[in-house]
Amino acid sequence: MSEQPSRTPASTPSLGASLIRDWDEPADGQELPPPEWGRPPRSRTTATVWWFVLFIAVLLAGQALLAGRLTHEAFLAWATVFTAISLQALPFLVFGVALSAAITALVPPQVWQRIVPRRAALAVPAAGLSGAVLPGCECASVPVAGGLIRRGVPPAAALTFLLAAPAINPVVIVATMVAFPGQPEMAVARFLASLGAAVAVGWLWAAFGRTDWLRLPRTGGGRTTGWRAFADTMRHDLMHAGGFLVLGGLVASGVNVLVPREWLAAVADTPVLSVLALALLAVVLSICSEADAFVVVSFTEFSATAKLAFLVVGPMVDLKLIALQAGAFGWAFVRRFVPLTLAATLLGTVLVGGLLL
Amino acid sequence: MNRLAQGMVMVLLGAAALSVTVASQDYLNYVRGEFRPFLIAAGAVLVLLGLVAVVAELRSPEDEAEPGHDPAHGHDHGRAPVVAWLLLLPVVVIFVVAPPALGAYTAAAADPAAAVERALPDDVPADTPDADGPVEMSLREFVVRAWTDEERSMAGREIRLTGFAVPNPDGEGWYLARLQIACCAADAIVNRVLIVNQEEPPADSWWTVTGRWVEPEGDIRRVRDHRFEVTEMVPVDHPPDPYE
Repeated sequence: MSEQPSRTPASTPSLGASLIRDWDEPADGQELPPPEWGRPPRSRTTATVWWFVLFIAVLLAGQALLAGRLTHEAFLAWATVFTAISLQALPFLVFGVALSAAITALVPPQVWQRIVPRRAALAVPAAGLSGAVLPGCECASVPVAGGLIRRGVPPAAALTFLLAAPAINPVVIVATMVAFPGQPEMAVARFLASLGAAVAVGWLWAAFGRTDWLRLPRTGGGRTTGWRAFADTMRHDLMHAGGFLVLGGLVASGVNVLVPREWLAAVADTPVLSVLALALLAVVLSICSEADAFVVVSFTEFSATAKLAFLVVGPMVDLKLIALQAGAFGWAFVRRFVPLTLAATLLGTVLVGGLLL
Repeated sequence: MNRLAQGMVMVLLGAAALSVTVASQDYLNYVRGEFRPFLIAAGAVLVLLGLVAVVAELRSPEDEAEPGHDPAHGHDHGRAPVVAWLLLLPVVVIFVVAPPALGAYTAAAADPAAAVERALPDDVPADTPDADGPVEMSLREFVVRAWTDEERSMAGREIRLTGFAVPNPDGEGWYLARLQIACCAADAIVNRVLIVNQEEPPADSWWTVTGRWVEPEGDIRRVRDHRFEVTEMVPVDHPPDPYE
């Protein structure tokens, strides 16, 4: 049977030979699997439903067999801290996303154009301050900034808004005050340092930025408004931010439980290194700005300025944001914008931290 | 991840948040008690939003090839990135692992000095209350007093403390400890007293002990661990709110 293809000349190929040849050299432009195999949306829907039925069955079986019977202490401590970070952040994420969806879907885009001043020098601080009023998650602010630029807002102002909105919006400031009970100066310092850094970056971009560094997103602006769009935007933002939030919680709880306190304490004692260490941690953890204050309070060994660095750098520069920005504006933009922002946030932290904390 | 999957993930995540707040008291193992209404609201919104997405999707399956959809842009509004599947991880951990409250493992690793630094004695009354019987006190109040009360008003008083047992790896005796959280279990710090005049109970077992503060000689701030001389020790149930 295996010899049959070799005996048959190529002009009259057997089924097997033709299959093999087709396997090796798919016709150009022909997608595998070909469309006529037919993957109608209905079958994908059914597959998803079955996948979740299976998942829930495994979940229930796991609960019956394992819940409360695991005894590994370090694992359980990690699980508790991970669950705690996830649950603590959840309401802030949900309501932050709801508010940002309301703004995206229920406020007509022309409003922004009317509000923001035409001149960049004025528009930048205005955009920075509007970040203090309008709540928006990092993940939401990137598409919003792209939309603003497309609608004629100066890029420098839109970028200032992108930086300021997740850092100093009311939800974040309230979360910071809740996380640092009895230390309102932390929220004040966070507000001032973040606003200063965002406006500085905006002005620098207005003075030296070039249009061709910025690749504008072509699609995504055709979104309709209304309640359907509200639910859609909310689901979209939740999905984009939530996954990264869990990732941040995973790393944070791992650091919390696995890294011996002495390591952190060793770094925490040196002033410059401790600021840089927590800034780096903020970049790596990529925690949503609504929740980062709750994470940083657990680093009790660090100075207030180092914690401030975590709170100021995190919402403006982190791995998740870099990925989002590269997707929206291109790498040529990220290469210039991210180091500039990092420098501005560190400078703002040291200045405000030195004065206030 | 298609829209139907997103809807299901949201329903499951919301259900997990509701199950630890409405169906049980487990949320107290992770966050502070005041947080309950916010968790319930967030869970309800997630379930509702997820159901809306699921129902809409089952009625009219996804318009896969959306007009104007640019695959290179990578930001299709209907689909979610792979990382969004991670939202199922808290669901799995909550339902399958059902993590218990932090206990002796964390208390042994945590830094006790942090407790003193962060203790804000505002809510601790200046004087030990006058009472005939033993004074009920939280472990936090006890260590704050022991470290900061220069008047030493606790000296000679009978005091009652509740906490769990933590072995002392480098020395005699064992600790009676309680974890204190500001927001969630991620920021737990430990309040503990050293007990040397009783047999060491198993780690993580809960006790109410009655006894006296062992007044240290010299500066009260220089003491690494304050000692407690136990006269009576009663086992208690794991309290519903394990943190203080």
